[in-house]
Amino acid sequence: MELLKLLSTSEIVAQVINFLLLLFILRIFLWKRILKLLDERKERISSGLKSIEDSKAEIERLKAEYETQLSSIENIARERIKEAVKEGSQVVNEIKKKAQMDAEKIIEAAKIDMKHEVARAKENLKDEIIALTMKATESLIEAKFTEENDKKLIGDFLKQVDETK
Amino acid sequence: MSTELPNIVTILESKLEGTVFAHYLRLWENVIFSLIIISILSIASYFVCRKQRLVPNRLQNIFEMFVGGIDDFVCGILGAQGRKYTPFIGTLFIYIIFMNFFGLVPFMKSSTTSWSTTLALALCVFIYVQYSAIKENGIIGYIDHMMGKPRGFLAFTVAIPLLLLFLHIVGELIKPISLSLRLRSNIWGDDILLSIMAGFGLKGIPMLFFNTFLAIIAGTVQAVVFCLLSTIYFALVLAHED
Repeated sequence: MELLKLLSTSEIVAQVINFLLLLFILRIFLWKRILKLLDERKERISSGLKSIEDSKAEIERLKAEYETQLSSIENIARERIKEAVKEGSQVVNEIKKKAQMDAEKIIEAAKIDMKHEVARAKENLKDEIIALTMKATESLIEAKFTEENDKKLIGDFLKQVDETK
Repeated sequence: MSTELPNIVTILESKLEGTVFAHYLRLWENVIFSLIIISILSIASYFVCRKQRLVPNRLQNIFEMFVGGIDDFVCGILGAQGRKYTPFIGTLFIYIIFMNFFGLVPFMKSSTTSWSTTLALALCVFIYVQYSAIKENGIIGYIDHMMGKPRGFLAFTVAIPLLLLFLHIVGELIKPISLSLRLRSNIWGDDILLSIMAGFGLKGIPMLFFNTFLAIIAGTVQAVVFCLLSTIYFALVLAHED
């Protein structure tokens, strides 16, 4: 009972009102505002971290895509080089073939020319032989034939020689 | 002979001795100091939270640390639903700790040395706990909880649930008394010790400093204990799944 003398109803009521007043004021100015701010900051940090994670994932995806593209580009380049080499070797073969054909043609032409030259040379030689033979015959028989008869005579002789060959 | 140190109210009272005003000063001494603390806290919180910045300044940082700490403390015990009790527990803590430390300021007094003050706070806790319990469980659910949730055979033994109900009611009623007396007695003891040390004059100065240091620790611990127990009282009535 002595302890109860320490209590004062009016003070208790006043202190309850005081506390409720402080609670009301702090709820408006402190708790609501700061808790909201802390929540917003937490939200912002977590969304920031999430966006960083998303960006990282996007970078990884782009990197993988880039690497895939790079390797496909390398493959394409390799294929093209192979094709170019193949085409080049084909062209070389064609050029070689053409060159060979040209060379053969040239050789053929040269052979024909050579035949003509040989025939011409033979003709010249024949003429020279005829002339020399005539000179020799003239000097041997010292008889003079007409140039026309001589040529005919010698020509017939040479024909007979060729035919006997 | 009073063992309390003189404060501004007792000084003013002695100046106005014999008048009606002196009588009211004596009567409302603790309320006046509480009002001073309420004014300081209200003005400080208004000026700090008036312009909030995303990047806080030093004072806002202190308030944010305090609010965040209290929120973590309450939600740590009550879980996610603890957020709605954070303002109540936080206001109790800041109010009690300021009242406890106010007695260490020269010519001021700790209102918590008065049982009426601490009982008023404990009654607020008691009423809010009962209100939350009824709101969360319903009146029948709460009585069922108080009876120890009698089921099966236990429900037919009327005496045991009634005894449990009686024990729970007594337990609930004891809580504000124990809560308020613990706080009041500790702070009152600290203040009396300080006033005795102050009475020794210059010789008592080292002990006065030592006791001031102890009073700071005791004031903090008592505020924490009061809030911790209040939070546990909430947890006991809200955690009905156990």
